[in-house]
Amino acid sequence: MAFLIIKYREKKNSQDPDDTPRLGRIPIVRGHGRNLVITLSLSTIIVVALIFGSFAAVDTLLTPPNGTWCYGLVPGYGASSPLNPDCPRIDIIGHQFYWDFRYPGPHAHTDKYVFRLPVNGTVVLDVTSSDVFHDFGIIPFKIKTDAVPGRTNTIWFVPYQTGNYLIQCFELCGQGHYYMNATLTVMPVPSFQQWYNST
Amino acid sequence: MSQEIVPARISRWLFTTNHKEIGILYTITSLFFFVAAGLLALTMRTQLSVPDNNLLSPELYNQFVTVHGLLMIFWVLSPFAFGFANYIIPLQIGARDLAFPRLNAMSYWFYLVSGAAMIMSFALGGAPDLGWTLYSPQTSFKFTPTIGLNVGAAGLILIVVSITMSSVNFLVTMFKMRAPGMKLKHMPVFPWAILVTIFMMLYAFPSFLAALLLLYVDRAFGTFYFSSIQGGALLWDNVFWFFGHPEVYIVLFPAIGLIADAISTYTRRPLYGSKYIIGSMVAAAIISFIVWGHHMFVTGIGLTSTKLYTVTTIAVSLPFDVMVIAMVESLVKARVRLKAAALFSLGAVALFVIGGITGVYLASVALDHALRGTYFVVAHFHYIMVGASIMGLIGGLYYWFPKMTGRMYDEGLAKIHFIASFIGFNILYFPMFLLLDMPRRIDTYAPNTGWATLNLMSTVGGFIFGLAQILLFVNLFASLRRGSPSGPNPWEAWTLEWSLPSPPPAHDFDTIPTIAEDGTYHFGNNPGYPNGSGYPNGSKIGNGIAYSHLEGQSPWPIVVAFSAFTFFLGITIGQPSNPSVPVTFQPFWPLVLDGAILGVIALYGYSKERFHVHEETNVESWPFRDVPNVKLGIWTFLGAEVIFFGVLIGAYFFVRTNSPTWPAVGSLFEVRSGFAMTLVLLTSSLTAIMALVSAKIGSRNGLMASLLATFGLGVSFLYIKANEWIFLGTHGVFSVANGLPATSYFITTGVHGVHVFAGMLMTLYLLVNTVKGRYLKGDYHAIEHFGLYWHFVDIVWVFLFPLFYLI
Amino acid sequence: MNTTYLYLLVFAILVGSTDIEVNIVSLYPSALGSVAMLFGTIALSYGVIVSILLGLAGMKALLIASFYQHLKYEPRSLSSWVLIGLVMASLLMSLVFIQLHVH
Repeated sequence: MAFLIIKYREKKNSQDPDDTPRLGRIPIVRGHGRNLVITLSLSTIIVVALIFGSFAAVDTLLTPPNGTWCYGLVPGYGASSPLNPDCPRIDIIGHQFYWDFRYPGPHAHTDKYVFRLPVNGTVVLDVTSSDVFHDFGIIPFKIKTDAVPGRTNTIWFVPYQTGNYLIQCFELCGQGHYYMNATLTVMPVPSFQQWYNST
Repeated sequence: MSQEIVPARISRWLFTTNHKEIGILYTITSLFFFVAAGLLALTMRTQLSVPDNNLLSPELYNQFVTVHGLLMIFWVLSPFAFGFANYIIPLQIGARDLAFPRLNAMSYWFYLVSGAAMIMSFALGGAPDLGWTLYSPQTSFKFTPTIGLNVGAAGLILIVVSITMSSVNFLVTMFKMRAPGMKLKHMPVFPWAILVTIFMMLYAFPSFLAALLLLYVDRAFGTFYFSSIQGGALLWDNVFWFFGHPEVYIVLFPAIGLIADAISTYTRRPLYGSKYIIGSMVAAAIISFIVWGHHMFVTGIGLTSTKLYTVTTIAVSLPFDVMVIAMVESLVKARVRLKAAALFSLGAVALFVIGGITGVYLASVALDHALRGTYFVVAHFHYIMVGASIMGLIGGLYYWFPKMTGRMYDEGLAKIHFIASFIGFNILYFPMFLLLDMPRRIDTYAPNTGWATLNLMSTVGGFIFGLAQILLFVNLFASLRRGSPSGPNPWEAWTLEWSLPSPPPAHDFDTIPTIAEDGTYHFGNNPGYPNGSGYPNGSKIGNGIAYSHLEGQSPWPIVVAFSAFTFFLGITIGQPSNPSVPVTFQPFWPLVLDGAILGVIALYGYSKERFHVHEETNVESWPFRDVPNVKLGIWTFLGAEVIFFGVLIGAYFFVRTNSPTWPAVGSLFEVRSGFAMTLVLLTSSLTAIMALVSAKIGSRNGLMASLLATFGLGVSFLYIKANEWIFLGTHGVFSVANGLPATSYFITTGVHGVHVFAGMLMTLYLLVNTVKGRYLKGDYHAIEHFGLYWHFVDIVWVFLFPLFYLI
Repeated sequence: MNTTYLYLLVFAILVGSTDIEVNIVSLYPSALGSVAMLFGTIALSYGVIVSILLGLAGMKALLIASFYQHLKYEPRSLSSWVLIGLVMASLLMSLVFIQLHVH
């Protein structure tokens, strides 16, 4: 665009083009539809590719893995039975202005502020809210879902690296929205087991 | 024509109905709100410039961010555009004013008082503070027990009323008042953009009105639409965004139209593919109504819906693609004049491309999971709303300032304004794309997040951008008095407004131009007015801003607006009588009654006033040939009412299909009383149509009898309904506290009942006039128009009866 | 025909349809405690009855709009305002229904 503006700028000695619209007359129609059809078709091809790519992605994102696809299961934690190991499901409940993390059996308990997970283990999160509309997000692992009272939204991910990560609320939920944070601590499996068994 | 200096008096501005003066009022008022909302934004940016800042408390910050959004979207962007539309559209289509000048004035005054209400909410227990999107259930009484949100809702309701009046007005004007030969296809792009915009406004805003009404009733009366789980967050999400998405196109399209026409002027060539640009706007407008779910990609709407909305959202980017390509292609082999207005227009296109592409990113569900609720979204929509829309509109101000004032401004200063704004804009918003892990609407952040540098940069850009606007105001104010005369066509443009003197005289065209088959304009030999010059009683042409002749002045628009303001303020300003008991808001009766009484008086005065609007007989009127203006206006309004009731009924369906159980048929309501009400209303439709028949044949007794019968039947309807309400309410089984069946019933039939009550007031008015002998000598149109409204109310009941009583 | 007679005829149809609507309610499955029978042969489910009711309501609306509001005799374009509104309201309800119930 900058190129065109500079190339076709008005100079003192340049003439008005032939089809300059003048006052007193409706301008003639200019422009072939052909150019636009070409660009439109190219764009359509690109966006259709985008759409199908999106579909593949969203199928993966929104479908929690079933038992055979659960990686990194930690013995004694979260699996429903040794014969049918589902991924551990953790309930996450949003409040004004903190998150509750409810771990499954056999050492079921609720934590706030710190969310501990074993590294490389698939985990399924069932997110809801006890009061208003929140949004649960962990940017480094690119997961996010709305926490809506009365509904449970399910997402899943695999924390593939140990460390501390920030959990934030991404929907304005009141005056404490800005400090509704928590820490995701991804631990090596033995440390996690030790912690989990001691709760 | 002799020029007379006419002193400007306040009353002239308070009572004007001239489209040019109303246009100026809209433009100046919107700039005032622009500065106000901009100051709110600069304060927020200052708060965010360093971590752990405490310049603004979280309470205040949340109010600022909400009101900034609301003011900019409703009180700045659209009114700024419609200031131009008011002034320029009649000139561009060859008309002398809008179809309904007093309605136009009333739109403006409703706009002004609604803005006052919104700003007043700060002082009344805190402005709304949950984002301009006002998500549920945060907005319910339980979580927001203050009245500030009620007052803000009143402001929003008033501006929706203003906008609906404007939509009806502009639609009738653009379809029925074009000059001979000015076919729709000959209109420049700006009128087309406005036409598309007002279609979207007509059908989107009633949804917002319904949402606001439901929110207010929930808060004040304890109903459960938004505070229950079956309704709740998802109901508001849908009803709000069904409006919200077309709304963001509504604030964009006028600027696009303006930019397109400015590009044509400053490139000295016709626009490339103008009909494709117009076609794309129409396509985008239609698709915009089915994309709203992309605001709910992570809300749990299910795979099918998610995929559906991905397709529609990505599809809507295609028409914009076409528009941009066409506008850029217009530069090829052109002779580009880089005046300030051109700079703003072309700059806006560039920023629009950046904003638009990032929109496609957000349309991808996978990316949306990462980007939802972050500053990436903030950057995206500011690139469009400020970069494309505001920059485009400022370009419009530079473009049309000479026409509106007759003065030229300092071109050099305007170009500096552009450079400073463009640079400041990008420094302000580009860093936000990089802050894609920072949540939106947070008051402050910790130092260890690493966001401080980008935030500080953004704040610096914000101040540059904000301070640059001072150049705009200084330039234009100074030029008002000291600018050199601009002449009628300083840009050598081709559209009709440039054929008039700058500023145009009060009556615009001496004779309405004709567009011949070959596209040339003809300014003579057209039977516009008998004497071919101005209104029959002559008009004075003022120096400076055009003076509107006395025939066009009316006090009623501002009085109606003021009474509506008083009424709604009274309803929403009442404090809870018992803070510990939810939803005990008491209306402040003195204001409510004042507003109601004044409103009735004002509406009566408005109806009685002999305000003559000359309708040209020789006009282009496709596709509404032979449809009188007022009838067209009423049908347009009924179209909006369809959406309004559609959303109310939709809310009922929503909660009902979302509830596992619902009381069985016949267990709640007496089918008999519903049957009686239906029969009463159907009979009243019959008497209403018989009233029209009597009026047409000139039978005074027939007309009196029919109108009396209609009135009696309407009152009976209300009487049966009141009895039923009292019975249901007092028998505990069905009091409002009992959840959703009660909520949906009382609200939906209540709104219908208000419509019936309004119809009764109209019938009374018609009866009074019939006694005086009107409507019998061929002037039966008021009866016909009342009938159209009344039959519509009947049709709504025809649906409500089975929906509530029989299924 | 004479317009007054036309209006009266429309009125009669409107009242008659309302009568049918009210009586159909007694055919709901729960009202009889078993599958409802119409004319002793056809069973009516809840969905069918609701469709009949809404269909009757739609027909009544069409009659009022065409004759009382005169739309049958007006230019087609005048009906477009409410038709567009109806289409959009239907879109809203259908898409929301899909959101809630189709996964």
